[in-house]
Order: sequence, then C-alpha cells, then structure tokens
Amino acid sequence: MASFSSNEWKAVCAKFTNAQQLSDVESRTDPENDPFRSKYKARELLTEIYCSLKNFEAGDGEEHDDGETSEPEPTEEPLDGEKPVDLDAFSRGWSSDSRAGLRAARLAAVEYYLGVNHVDTEELSAGQEHLMNCMKHLGKCRVSSENVSLFIHVRNQLGILWAGRDETEKSQGFLETAESIYQRYMKENGSPPTDMTEYFCSEENQLTHQERTKKFELAYTHTLYYLAQVYQYFGENERAANYCYSTLQRQLQLNQFNPMEWALNAATLSQYYITKGQYMEGRHCLAAATVISGLAGEVPSEAAAQESEAERDRREQLKQKRSEIARCWIKYCLNLLRDAKKLLEDNIGELDTDRQDELRRARRREEEEEGRKQALLFGSEDTFDSIASVEEKVSYLFPLDFTEARAIFLVGQNYVNQAKEHFQMDGFVTDHIEILQDHSALFRALAFFEEDVERRCKMHKRRVDMLEPICNDLNSQYYLLIRRQLMFELAETYNEMMDLKLTLANRQEDSQSLDNHTIKKFNHLCSASAKYFQMFLDSLCSPEGKIPEHLEEDVLRPALVARFRVARLHSKLISSSPPVQLDNLNKALENYKYVVQYCEAHPEAAAAAETELELSKEMVGLLPLKINRLKARMATNN
Amino acid sequence: MSKNKSSESVKVVVRCRPLNRKEESSGPVGGIVQMDLRLGQVILRNPRASPSEPQKTFTFDAVYDGNSKQRDLYDESVRPLIDSVLAGFNGTIFAYGQTGTGKTYTMQGAWLDPEKRGVIPNAFDHIFTHISRSQSDKQYLVRASYLEIYREEIRDLLDPNHSSTRGLDLRESPETGVYVQDLTSCVCKSIKEIEEVMNVGNQARVVGATDMNEHSSRSHALFLITVECSQPGPDGRKHIRVGRLNLVDLAGSERQAKTGVHGERLKEAAKINLSLSALGNVISALADGRSGHVPYRDSKLTRLLQDSLGGNAKTVMVATLGPAPAHYDETLTTLRYANRAKNIQNQPKVNEDPKDALLREFQKEIARLKAQLNHRRWRSKQKKEQVDCEDWGRDSDEEMEDEEEAVETETDDYVKLEEQRLEREKEAITEDQFLLVEEKQKLLGDLRKEQEATEQLTAKYKAMESKLLVGGKNIMDHTNEQQKMLEVKRQEIAEQTRKEREIQQQMLVQDEETVELRETFTSLQQEVEAKTKKLKKLYSKLQCIKAEIKDMNDEHVGSRQELEQTQNELTRELKFKYLIIENFIPPEEKNKIMNRLTFDPEEDQWNFQPLVPAQSKFSQMKKRPTSAVGYKRPISQYARVAIAMGAHSRFRAENIMFLELDMCPPNPSSLDCLAEAATNQTPSQENSPTRNRDIHKSSSW
Repeated sequence: MASFSSNEWKAVCAKFTNAQQLSDVESRTDPENDPFRSKYKARELLTEIYCSLKNFEAGDGEEHDDGETSEPEPTEEPLDGEKPVDLDAFSRGWSSDSRAGLRAARLAAVEYYLGVNHVDTEELSAGQEHLMNCMKHLGKCRVSSENVSLFIHVRNQLGILWAGRDETEKSQGFLETAESIYQRYMKENGSPPTDMTEYFCSEENQLTHQERTKKFELAYTHTLYYLAQVYQYFGENERAANYCYSTLQRQLQLNQFNPMEWALNAATLSQYYITKGQYMEGRHCLAAATVISGLAGEVPSEAAAQESEAERDRREQLKQKRSEIARCWIKYCLNLLRDAKKLLEDNIGELDTDRQDELRRARRREEEEEGRKQALLFGSEDTFDSIASVEEKVSYLFPLDFTEARAIFLVGQNYVNQAKEHFQMDGFVTDHIEILQDHSALFRALAFFEEDVERRCKMHKRRVDMLEPICNDLNSQYYLLIRRQLMFELAETYNEMMDLKLTLANRQEDSQSLDNHTIKKFNHLCSASAKYFQMFLDSLCSPEGKIPEHLEEDVLRPALVARFRVARLHSKLISSSPPVQLDNLNKALENYKYVVQYCEAHPEAAAAAETELELSKEMVGLLPLKINRLKARMATNN
Repeated sequence: MSKNKSSESVKVVVRCRPLNRKEESSGPVGGIVQMDLRLGQVILRNPRASPSEPQKTFTFDAVYDGNSKQRDLYDESVRPLIDSVLAGFNGTIFAYGQTGTGKTYTMQGAWLDPEKRGVIPNAFDHIFTHISRSQSDKQYLVRASYLEIYREEIRDLLDPNHSSTRGLDLRESPETGVYVQDLTSCVCKSIKEIEEVMNVGNQARVVGATDMNEHSSRSHALFLITVECSQPGPDGRKHIRVGRLNLVDLAGSERQAKTGVHGERLKEAAKINLSLSALGNVISALADGRSGHVPYRDSKLTRLLQDSLGGNAKTVMVATLGPAPAHYDETLTTLRYANRAKNIQNQPKVNEDPKDALLREFQKEIARLKAQLNHRRWRSKQKKEQVDCEDWGRDSDEEMEDEEEAVETETDDYVKLEEQRLEREKEAITEDQFLLVEEKQKLLGDLRKEQEATEQLTAKYKAMESKLLVGGKNIMDHTNEQQKMLEVKRQEIAEQTRKEREIQQQMLVQDEETVELRETFTSLQQEVEAKTKKLKKLYSKLQCIKAEIKDMNDEHVGSRQELEQTQNELTRELKFKYLIIENFIPPEEKNKIMNRLTFDPEEDQWNFQPLVPAQSKFSQMKKRPTSAVGYKRPISQYARVAIAMGAHSRFRAENIMFLELDMCPPNPSSLDCLAEAATNQTPSQENSPTRNRDIHKSSSW
C-alpha cells in the first residue's frame, strides 16, 4: 500500500501504541472517582484510528474497488450466536496477505479493541456491537497465521459477554469454535501467528517467534479456562475438571502463574478427584500444590511481620493458604481411610478378614501387572522430581491393615497440626472445628483397623477429649448446626466406647458377673451418650421447649436415630434396684413409642429410618411385657 | 409474626427508572419495559425481535415503574421488614441491577428533598419514631456501622482515616459468630446522629463517574443497624431482643465478576470470571462435594450476608431496571436473576436474649454505678453523723433511692444543710474551741471530695443512661396515638394492596383455568350425548351378541352329546374287535398283520402293505435286451440266409407258425398236459419230435 510508509501511517501506529499504553498500564492508576479515564482516552484514539483506516482505504480504495466487488462477498455471519462449528473459515474468503484481507484484519483488530474497551467500561451492548463488527470483518477472511490470533480473541470476548448475560449456550458456541480453530490451525499450520498488536507496528518492532507463540498460547489457555466455566455451569463436571486441569498445566508450562494461587487451585482440583475416588490423581494434584506453594517463598518471620505491614499481610496470606492445602491433605487421608473402611467392613461394621485377603491378592496381582497409568501429570522438568518425592510420602492405595492405615493416619495428623496452627479457635471458629472434626474422624477410621479393643477405646477417648470442651463453649445461636453435629458425634463416640467396654468385659470374665467398677464405668458411658443425644434433641425444640411437630428434612433422620438410640441406651443401663430399672425401661419405651408414632403421623419419615422403625415397633410390643414382669417381681418381693 | 416453623421466601420487588434525557434523545423507540402495577408483572419487549414474537413476562411481589415514589416503595415493601427488625428479627434489603439503573437512588435517594429520600433515611425515620412512641418500659439501643467491600477488601467508612489503613478482617468468635474485626460502631440517639453517620460514610465511599452513570458506585456498601430492645417480660426479668438490619447497595451487576461477589450463596448470578486468578472459584464449584474441603467457597460479602440468603433473616431484594432498548440483554439478565431469587427460602427467628447484647452490658453497668452511688451516699451520711453528734432525722429508705433526680437534689440538700450546720458550728466553735476548726475544715474537704466523686458518678450514670433510649419520654400522648393509628391504618392499606395484588395474580391464574374448564365443559356435554347414543347402540348390539352366544352354546352342547355317544359306540366296537383279535388270532399273526398295516391318510383307512415291496419288482425284472431289429433273438447271418432260402428244420423255432403240409400223427412226448392242450388247440401245430423239443425249449424261457 502506498500509504504504508507515509507519515500518516506512522501517526496511526503511534496512536495505537498510545491507546494500548493507556488502556493496559495507565488505567490501573486511574483515580477511584474517575475509574475509566484512561480507557475513555484510549477509546477516542481507537475511534480516530478506525476513521483514518477507513480513509486510507477509501483513498487508495479506488484502484482495488473493483477487486473488492468482484470477489464474492462471504455470507453474513448470524447476528448473534455462532454456528456450532464454523470451520469453513479455513477455506473460504480472502487470504490474509491479499490487500483486502490485510485491510479487513486491521479493521477487525480495531473493532476488537473498541469492543473490549466498551465492555471494560460497562457498556456491554455497545461492546457487543463492535465485537460483532469484528466478526463480520473476519468473516471475509481466511484463517491464516496473520489473523488466527484475532479469530480466537474475539470469540473469547464474545463468550464472556454472553455468559455474563446468563446465556451460556451462546457463549459455549463461541468458545468451542475458538477451541476448534486453534486445534485445526495447530494441525495444519502451526507456525507462530502474528499478534494483533503487530498490525500497527513498524517492521523493526515485530515480535519474536517466542513471544508470538506465548501470546497465542495464552489466548488459548483463556479459551480453555472459559470453557471450563461453561461446562461447570452446564453440570458437566468431568469435562470441566479436565479443562481446569489443562488450564493449570498450560499455566505451568508457559510459566504464567502466581505460585500460591496455582497451588490452591491444584489443591481444590484434588478435592474433586478425591470425592470421585480417584486417589492417584488427587495425590498428584496435592503433591504439585505442595511443591508449587513452596515456590512462593518462605513465610516471613514474626519479627519481620511486626516491622512492616506488607510483610504481615504476606505472612498471613501464606500461612492461610498453606494451611488450606494442609486441610486438603487431611481430607485426602481421611477419605482414603474411610473408603478403605467401607471396603473392608462386614455387615456389623467389623473388619472382614476374607475381604482383606481378597483385596491383598488383588493388589499383588495389580503390582505384577505393573501399576496403573497416571492420567494427570503436572510439572515442568524442574518440579517433576520434587512432586514425585512428595507423592511418595503417602500411598494412594487403600490401606488394608493397621500398619498401613497408621501410616496414612500419621500423615493426616501431621497436617492437622499444621492446619491448626493457623486456623485457631479465636478468629476461625468454623474452620478450627472442621479440622477437629476431621481429626476425630481420622481417629475413628483408624480405630476400625485396630484390633486391640483397649487401644481402640483409648482412640475414642481422644475424640471425646477433643470435641467435648468445644461443644460446650460455642454460642448456640450462631453455631447451632455445628453444635448439633458435635453433639451427635460425641453421643456416638460414647456409644462406641460403651460397646467396646462391654465386649472387653465379656471377653475377660466369661461366666462371672461384672465387677462393680466395670458396671460403674459402663453406666457412666451409657448415660453420657444418652445425655448428648438428648442435648441434640433439645436443640431441635422451639424456644418454648416444645418438641416440633414436624421435623425438617435435614434433621429428620438424625432426630429419629437419636430417639432410637436414647431408648436403647436406657434399656441397656445396668442397675440392681428394680425401681430404677423400671424407670429406665419406661423411658426407653417412651422413646421407642415416639419413633413409632412419629412415623405413623408422617408416613414419609418411615423411609428415612427403616431399620430403626422396625426395631422400635418390635420393642414397643415387647417392652411392656418386660415391664409387667418386673412389676410383678417387685410386687412379690414386697 | 413469631411463627415457629416459618420459612418464607425472599421478597423480590422490581423497580424501573424512567428514561433519562440522553436515552430520550438518542432514540424515539421508547422503553422496552412495561409494568402492570396491579398484577405485579413486568413485560419485556425485545427491541430487535419482530412484533409477533411473544414478549417476556415476569411476575414479582411488587413492581414499581418510573412514576413511582420513593415513599410508595418504602411503605409497601420495606416497612413490614423494618417492623420485624424492631421486633427482633434480622432483616436485609439489597438492591441489585445493572449500573445506572438507580440502586443507590433507591437505597439512599436525595437527602434534602423529603420526597426523594430513599430506603435508608426512611428506615431511620421509621426506627426512631417507633422508639419515641413505644411504651416507657422499653429500652432501646441503636448502633450503626457502615462499611464497603471494594475489590474483596472490607473498608470501614466511619473510620476517619480509613483510606490509609488496610482492609479489615472477617473473623469468627465462639461467642458471637462472624464479625468484622475493629469495625467502628456508633451508638445513635436520634435521627440526626444516625444521618450524620450516614453522611460521613457516604463521603468516604468510592464513587466514580463513568459514561454510563455519573455517580457509579464502585463497591458494595453495607449499612448495618442493630436495634436492641429490652422489655420486662411476664416473669419480671428483662428480655432483650436484637434485630439486625443490613442495608446493602451492591455495585453494578456487571462489576460483580470483578468485585468478587461470587460465592456459594450468590452463585445464581453465574458470571464468567474474567481473570485466570479466579480459576479457584470454578474448581471449587466442581469440588463442592460431600466430604472434600473447598479452600475458596465464599466471598466476604456472602459471608457477611450469610444469614440473609437462606438463613435466619427476612430479605427484600429490589431489582432495578433501565428501560433503554440498548440494554435489553442486561435487563433480561437482571429479571431472570430476580426471578430465581424468589425461590431462596429463609428461616427468620426472633433473636431473644442473645449473649452479646450490648444493651445488657449497659444495663449492668448502670446498675453497678447506681449501687456505687448509693453506697457513697450512705458513707457520706455516716461521716456526717460523725461530724456532728446530733441526731439527724433521716429516712431509712433513702439508701435505696432509685430516682436519679431525687438523688441529686437530696445530695445537694445534704450538702447545703451540712454547710449551714458547719457554719453554725463554726461560729459556735470559733467562739470557744478554735482548735477544732482545722479538723472540721479537713472534714469539710473530705466531704467535698465525696461530693465530687458522687457528682462524677452521677454524670457517668447519666451518660450511660442517655445512651439508652427510653420510649415514651417526650410524648404528646394524643398526637402520638393518632399517629400510631395512622401508621396502623397505613400498614393495613399497604397490606390490603399487597393482598389485592396477590389475589389478582391468583385470579388471573384461575381465570385461565376457568376458561379452560368451560371449554372442556361444553364439549363435554356434547360428548356425553354422543356417548349415550353410542352406549345405547352398543348395548343392543351387546344383547344380540349375547343371544347369539347362547344359541351357539346350546348347539355346541348338542353336538358334544352326539359326539360322546358315537365315541361310546366306537369304543364298544373297538373293544369287541380287540376281544376277537385276542381270542382268535395268534399273536405272531397279529404282529405280522400289524407290521404290514399302514395308514393311508388320503383315503383315511388302513391298508395292507404288499408282501413284496412294490418297487423291488420292477428293478429285478429288467426287460429283455433287444439285440436285433425285428427279431426276438439274435440271429446269425447264416440263419437269416437260411430263412430266406427256405425252411430248415434247424430254425423252425423262429417260425412257429410255419406250417408244412406234413400230416403225420403226433408222437407221445413228455410234454405236460397244458402244453399239449395248447398245441392241440393250435390247428397248425407241428407234431414232429423236433418241433416238440423246440416247444419245450421255448417254454423254458
């Protein structure tokens, strides 16, 4: 073009650089009460550029005007929305090194920047118009290394725009097209494409190939990231997780990340895999998170924190995020133990040795066949080894006996202590209690693998010691839900301890009657358990202390189970005096009756507690007989 | 009000601002939003679509169009909420919408013009009028805090040097739940004071000028009002109720992806996060599973408003719209979001006797001060007794005096009397006992000190008490009652309109149903007639068929009986035949016959198989080969010649019928009688012995 070397063109280039500078750099320092000052300035410049571009073309347009008309005008794009796959853009339209193609690309680029500018300044409709104009210009061109970057960028922007308006289907269309354009381009061409900024650069300022690739890949990373959000919105979690993974992996490869953020994201992703039962992937994510978070530097010391505010902030941030990662590890250990427990459990909740052997054999077989292939792999060369070494510290296989379980438990406990350091009771009540609950659950899962009843009992005792004081400290108004959980857990723990004591006593002295001390202990545990169940039930009552007529769905099952347990505990209490026995039996009967009556009044509740209901019905039939017999005995004794 | 199991949904009202000058000038199209105030409906027209396309209709609890007054919105939609806050509920009002649609106008309005005052000033007004009119046994404490969340950072707007300090932290304590650390909280005693608080905060807020909106709020602002109310209950103890009111002015909805409003509770506002750094939010939504730990979860705003969205609070959401055609898509998004918000369920509960009520602390403090005061007074009296030995007529109940004014006057009295007395004494003493003067002056000084201390205490007490607002202090009862009545009436009216709207909405639905029903009804009648006819026809048909069936049945019975009879006969015959067979036919024979028997299904009878299989006969009996044409057997050339030549005895056999005139008598031979007869019968038979031999030969063939 004749005007290329002219001064006018130079002016346009200068304007463009200026506009970029304004919108990217200066806009960050705009005052709060005039937030878009630089953006508006940039917009003006861009509009000027657009006009002069038009003029240029009009000026020397005459010579190729006929060329323009003779070429078949590509079909119009649909006004909004995108055809699902619009890949004929590769084959039709002007090639980009033709004059017309270059012109269209330049116009499209200016339109693109105008569109982004409008979106940034909260004028979405105007922004949409500019972006659609950009699409129109591009629609006349063929995809090539000169303009592919713009193809992807404009679709990214439109995708965001529509998703912001809750029309995710539309944005999905744009983003998926962007993805397929990228993939096709990489397959067919693959050379580092020109960035849009280069349209307005003089020859000597062109970017290097590396820079080009980096910019282009980054745009595609964004596409993936947006797609992850779109799929998550549609509930296609697996797909979304895959896109999240690729986003993370690309960030790592392109070295475009903030270590702490990246680590936290990886840790979060691990939670997805853990809940899906994919422990190998989960472990990998967590290990990567731990390693990358190490790149964020040391936690500033306390002394440094006291000296400067920035240091204090940084210290807080780093501590918090590391603790968050530690909590993710806790969940990893806990879920692993729990799932293993579920696998090994027989129908009364004890260790099933047959299953144990079977699983051992299966594992051996698998080892022989060489382990599973890892689906995910994070890391650049320098981090790869350290990630692997972190991974080795804990197994991803289900533990099958106490020693294996203990190894996992210890790792978990280690992280519990780490997390508790930051999440202290004062200031992080909910988090602190959640960690404690996890700790307690770790003990519980470990106790399952322990064969010595005495030691098992001690583990449960640790749980009680952990939770009991906190449960009583909490304000019942603000922490109602947490308190209910704690009460229920405490009651169950006491119950388990009681069961263990009973088996222990039975084992030790088969025929003899229980000695006084054991009975006392037993009764203590029994009543403690009943007390916490009762506390739980009381928390459901209305302020006036009335039992609610209708239980909400989320507390329905716990409430019925608690009633049932209270009844059982009452009937289990050992006492030598008949009146006390009678009293206990009556209480038990009352609670059994409640369960039966409630289920009669609310038939929909019966499904929530089927076995409990069945047993309660039986007991309601049987207990009166027992009571009567007791009464008769009392009468004869008197 | 205090239903036990009361879950109620978020109340959503929609407000649309009128077209502004810029929009009016830019296009003649007019607004795209139509509102039906009576039905609470919003009708949205797509400016780009053809007129035939159906318009989108949304129904809300209430709608307010461009002509609506601030007061209308307040009276109808907000007043009941403030009333419940005064009764001890938690309440939240928040404004949501695109930038420049009037969120801040709705919440704050123009201060100076009483017509244009927004929800917040009206709420102040309401709260303090309520307090001044309530009974005097109620005590109130009103506290206000004002904060904004700007880029996920909490700023205290009441802190004069807030801009220099860093953001506040959200923390939790086991006693009080979530709180903002170091947040300034001002105790307000009057409307003036609380308005002052508001103004101070507003000046500190981040407001930017953009092309879309000259005063665009860049941050989410929260005005928190806590109203504590103590009232003696029936059991004589004082009950404290704490109502919390959150007044929230959100930043424009398009900024919310940037300001981090995303979190668990508000995730209905599904926006794509722009920056990669928000990737965590996305993953956390994925991992939001049963047993995983999600390190992100919620933003500060949602944590602060935890109770208001799906918790223990009553919530009103004001969605604001702009009518400009250019923003059709945004308006639609806002409406959809508001529509979804209707489904959020809250469980409001009265906050009774919370442990942290500041009011309780104040009351305790006051009680303590009172006790101190009384104690001091008592001590001063004792001192007085010491000073002069005279008996002093005192009321015994003075010690427990409660009335504060009385205390003051009494102390004053004491002091005066004492001074007089001292004067007098002094006079007396100066006359004769100079020595005592010093001592007495010292005592007087002591007394003064006492007095000062008492005064200080009194002042403190007063200050404390003045913080508590006691209802019914400055009332003109009559007007008050009237105003109350007025208020009640106004409430009733608002309630009525609300009900009316509800009923109308219901009616609309029912109308549709009725129309449908009626249509079906008329068609039903016709149908009934047709059906009856059909039924009759079918019935008669049915009868016919029944009769036919009976006939058929009878026929069948007859034929069956016949068949039975024949069967019997046949059986009898069969038995008879068997008997014969058994008795007269030897079993071997029987077997042979049985084996030979075959059933010919065509002729329906048993046939004997031929003794020799039929086909084998044909295969054995082959035809004699013909060796020469015309001759029965091969004849040599010589023989033929011989024949041609003439008869020769050798070949006579070939020519049986060849008779020669040889009449010799026949010889007796060994021919059997049959052959002889044959030859005898044949008149031309040769009787020569050779001939006989030939014949013999031939018979052997």
